Amino acid sequence: MTPFEIGLIALALMGLLVLLGMHVPIALIACSFVGVWAIKGSPLLASKMLGLAANDAISSYFFGVVPLFVLMGFLVSESGMGRDAFDVANAMFRRIKGGLGIGTIAANTIFAAITGISIASAAVFTKIAVPELRRHGYTPRFSVGVVAGSSVLGMLIPPSLLLILYGLLTEQSIGDLFVAGIGPGLLLAVLFGAGTVMMAHFAPRMVGENLGQSSDDLSSRQLLAKGLPITGLILVVLGGIYAGFFTPVEAGAIGTVGALLIGLLKRTLSAQGLWRVLVETGLVTAAVCFLIIAAQMYSRMLSFSGLPGSFGEMVATAELGLYGLILIYVLIVILFGMILDSSSIMLILVPLMLPVIVPMGVDLVWFGIITVIAVEIGLLTPPFGISVYVIKSTLGSDDIKLSDIFIGAAPFACMMLICLAAVILVPTIATGLLGR
Amino acid sequence: MSRVRSNRTLQVLDAVTLLANVVGSGLIVGLVALITADVAGRNLLGAPVSGVPEIVSLSIVAIVFLQAPEALRAGRLTRSDGLINILKARMPSIATWLETLFDLVGVAVVGAIFYAHWPILTRAWERNDFVGAVGNFTAPTWPVKAMLAVGAMLLALQFAARILRRHLRDTV
Repeated sequence: MTPFEIGLIALALMGLLVLLGMHVPIALIACSFVGVWAIKGSPLLASKMLGLAANDAISSYFFGVVPLFVLMGFLVSESGMGRDAFDVANAMFRRIKGGLGIGTIAANTIFAAITGISIASAAVFTKIAVPELRRHGYTPRFSVGVVAGSSVLGMLIPPSLLLILYGLLTEQSIGDLFVAGIGPGLLLAVLFGAGTVMMAHFAPRMVGENLGQSSDDLSSRQLLAKGLPITGLILVVLGGIYAGFFTPVEAGAIGTVGALLIGLLKRTLSAQGLWRVLVETGLVTAAVCFLIIAAQMYSRMLSFSGLPGSFGEMVATAELGLYGLILIYVLIVILFGMILDSSSIMLILVPLMLPVIVPMGVDLVWFGIITVIAVEIGLLTPPFGISVYVIKSTLGSDDIKLSDIFIGAAPFACMMLICLAAVILVPTIATGLLGR
Repeated sequence: MSRVRSNRTLQVLDAVTLLANVVGSGLIVGLVALITADVAGRNLLGAPVSGVPEIVSLSIVAIVFLQAPEALRAGRLTRSDGLINILKARMPSIATWLETLFDLVGVAVVGAIFYAHWPILTRAWERNDFVGAVGNFTAPTWPVKAMLAVGAMLLALQFAARILRRHLRDTV
């Protein structure tokens, strides 16, 4: 067998194992091990590859961003800043029809600027926004749908764990990726908002027939008290990176300390809460980074097999053109999104695609943004959209079924497709702020 | 269920796993404190803390390997469980066999990592390998390599424990 064939078989085997429910990193490591063994003919060499990758794969200063940004995000949620963002956003949009829906989206946009995980946004806003929306006459489907839809903003608007992962994987500047995420993130938020207003006017049966307003008006002092801490934190973290005061890693640490101080001053952070957050951070970090280590082994196996190179030649001779290739890629990513979580998809597909698109002179930052949006569409699609499952388990009651959440999220998934098409056709939306 | 809880071996394993998890969480707190001290020292006092990048790149490896066993135990290691949940409902015995097979593969590959890592650890210990620059800041690499070994061993044992737990539960 040629290395190419072995690589192909290892890839197919991996897909099968993952689909059957083997832990993703274990499937990646096992297939890389067997693949390298078959290609090089030596199990000793294959195990050496595993040992080296375990030691080197994440042993870099930049991987420090993962635990730090995750910790910051969880601290922000735990200290109740999501609630504050929701109150402020509602006070701003309460006169518009469907205002509470827009308020949810706006609050998620603000919240996204300080957390990097969609799942955190989904969990927080299911608790805060869904009861409020339903109390004011929104249908159950729309209430959970708008939360599911706007939670994806967390991964697009910086800081974003997915963009960090992509940057580490492709050696692109995380700062550049963050900047490139702003345009598409805001575009998506505006699309979501406009879509909500249109649905409220033209399809009231979907949103709710008798929409009430959030009754309590906030005084400007209350607005400031609720709005200032989170705005300040965003300015310090993102401003600090771009002003050159600190690296993304340092921004994560400073933001963590800031969120901790705010939580302690607001008296919303208990000792148990703090401990829970810390343990949770460790588990998320371990799961994500272990996946990165496994993906490193996998991409070393891929390069031994020469698969990406031959794959690239095939694509080149097929004369798909850039748009044809991107279209197929996006379709595959969305399909993967139906069964896998976002970081796994990215770590499996990007190493395979990178050697193909680099010779085509593609802007890798732009490609990263496209990947993230496509991956996030998968979070909302059946059968296994992860965001939807998080919302379901956070709701904890049975009166809203899983299928209701998927149906409610469907309009938002469509709006994401529009946003994705816009970014593909007009790369300036993403890279314009970088001056490219 | 009670047999799963009262099994001494599992209790000890879970306690050690939790301990590793706590050490890992402690390292994260340590990183936050260290980096904050560096930024504050550099910008306010003009006195940076040396060796921060080296410490960060070493400890991230330790954090991940110390926390991965608990992540597996808590069911947080990434997997796509849609199909296997359907199997569990329709054909429970096949699902159990499949789970056992998967856990055995887990034991095998993590065991292979441990096996390949062992000489790396002993060499780092014997040669007293370090990172950083002499005269400025140096840190030995063996503590992190040792934590990696501990983490890998616990992870392999936790995969084995999944099989044992299933077995104890099924025979109650």
